[in-house]
Amino acid sequence: MVGKLADYINALSTQLAKNKVETYVVTYNDSLTGTVEEASGVKVVRVANPVRSPIGVLTWDLTLNQEVERAAASIYYQAGKQIDLIDVYDWHFIPAAVTLKNALKIPFIYSVESLEDHRSPNSSTPYNMSIKSIEWLGFYEAKKVSVKSEWMRDQIFRIHNVPEDKMKVVSPSKDSWITDVLELYKTVAGGLNSK
Amino acid sequence: MKHKLSVMMFSWEFPPRVIGGISPHVFFLSKSLAKIGVKVHVVTCDFPDAPPHEVIDGVEVYRIDSYKNPAPDFATWVYLMNLNMQREAAAIVNKLGDKIDVFHAHDWLVATAGIGLKHVFRKPLLVTMHSTEIGRRDGLHTDTEKMIHETEAWLTYEAWKVICCSDYMVSHVKWAFGLPDDKLVMIPNGVNTHVYASSEKEDCEAFRAKFALPEEKIVLYVGRLVYEKGIHVLINAVPKVLARVNAKFIIVGSGYMKEQLLNIVRSMRLEHKVLFMGFVDDETLPRLQKCAGVSVVPSLFEPFGIVALEAMAAKSPVVVSDTGGLSEIVDHDATGFKAYPNNPESLAWGITKILIDEKYRKYIRENAYRKVQEKYDWEKIAQQTKQVYKAVLGEYSKSFWA
Repeated sequence: MVGKLADYINALSTQLAKNKVETYVVTYNDSLTGTVEEASGVKVVRVANPVRSPIGVLTWDLTLNQEVERAAASIYYQAGKQIDLIDVYDWHFIPAAVTLKNALKIPFIYSVESLEDHRSPNSSTPYNMSIKSIEWLGFYEAKKVSVKSEWMRDQIFRIHNVPEDKMKVVSPSKDSWITDVLELYKTVAGGLNSK
Repeated sequence: MKHKLSVMMFSWEFPPRVIGGISPHVFFLSKSLAKIGVKVHVVTCDFPDAPPHEVIDGVEVYRIDSYKNPAPDFATWVYLMNLNMQREAAAIVNKLGDKIDVFHAHDWLVATAGIGLKHVFRKPLLVTMHSTEIGRRDGLHTDTEKMIHETEAWLTYEAWKVICCSDYMVSHVKWAFGLPDDKLVMIPNGVNTHVYASSEKEDCEAFRAKFALPEEKIVLYVGRLVYEKGIHVLINAVPKVLARVNAKFIIVGSGYMKEQLLNIVRSMRLEHKVLFMGFVDDETLPRLQKCAGVSVVPSLFEPFGIVALEAMAAKSPVVVSDTGGLSEIVDHDATGFKAYPNNPESLAWGITKILIDEKYRKYIRENAYRKVQEKYDWEKIAQQTKQVYKAVLGEYSKSFWA
């Protein structure tokens, strides 16, 4: 656990499984690699980075993405190519989601927790620019963008110029949260040509 | 497989983008494969004024957006470029409609793209290891070098076969990454003799006048000005050669050692004898090779040694250091002179011998040219490569991925 995202994904995947959505979580762990089926029915695949000496967060992330991609492709083939959508959280695994979309035609939702502009305000070093470019790629390639507040939606519009109708506010504090998530999924599931 | 054998190659350089030896290698290999009935798609980095897609002698060339935002460093740029390469190559594969049989990556610079596409499309991946980080740097000293080394190890692990261009490189790669023998294949690099045929009737007297005085013999170096290429060894050999022969040293290429080398030359007061040319165009280089009295390849680490082979094809006698792939290309006193590596005295001895002894020079250049034609012909190399593709596809057909 690094931040609050792990708790959120745990709660979301459990709720999805309860609602009879076949859910796979692909995540990172340096030692506990492999697939585990949780009591909820959620299958969690943990992958490690084959490169043990990255020189920074970016190179760590970009090499780890290949393992995420490999694990996700493996799920896709084992599930008889019946994966309807990918929900990717923040910029870290956008590279994998982008390739999976272009290769296997699985649409993805980019769920935004935070932006580089907020994490490192007024920074425009090559490091920040690289992360921002990955965020931009995610917004460009995603079928939908999920945000947790109207404020974040406005920020993304302001910073990345993402069309407002591409974004959907899904607030975890609302009673209708999981219904809203499922509604969003339905608009994306079923291939790249769905509306 | 009902369609023509179809390969997608990944290379970070392809003409007109030429940085090192991978560009000409992929260029000639892909064209020669196309000639013998293999459909080749090359995915490479973009280049100013080069079209995003073109067909060159049957080879489909796709130039991708190579990531133009500022990146923190070269290695990070490589992984960011690979992200774009994967993305665009995935779309190309889909557009072609499941017609790619094999992915073929050239070096770590396209490692993550090759590995990623292998898994998403479940097609076999081959890699040609042109060099290694541990060899280039003579060890692993920095975090970046370790990271590149681990990426190379990962790439060779993921590849179904690893092609190396010399026996030396096979044993080096086997040692560096702990690979089993049956995963490694040796296919030599090739050289295009046609490039030099056009300069066959070269009027050397007129051409060489641009670079040297009539009484000066030309000693030619072509390569990057970096430590592993041993250019500093040649510079240190300059006064030893000049003590016996009047010569002009022409240095073609660029690199981080340039200033350091210029300082050494200045300190020896030999600026008038050593000419740093930087990069030269494709028309000038073969003419220079053709007119040189001797071509020198003083590398400390050399997986193959294409420059030596090109000089041999241009009928320029060669002096090489007895290391790596150079040891295999050159037979001492038969197709060239092998000097002790990192030894200016030995290098100077070889250069002087060739420049002074006319009979020896003629004997060596003729033998060398014959060897190039017999062993390093691109069509033969393409045939060998095609056989590797077929062998891998045979294994693949029995796997659960097929």
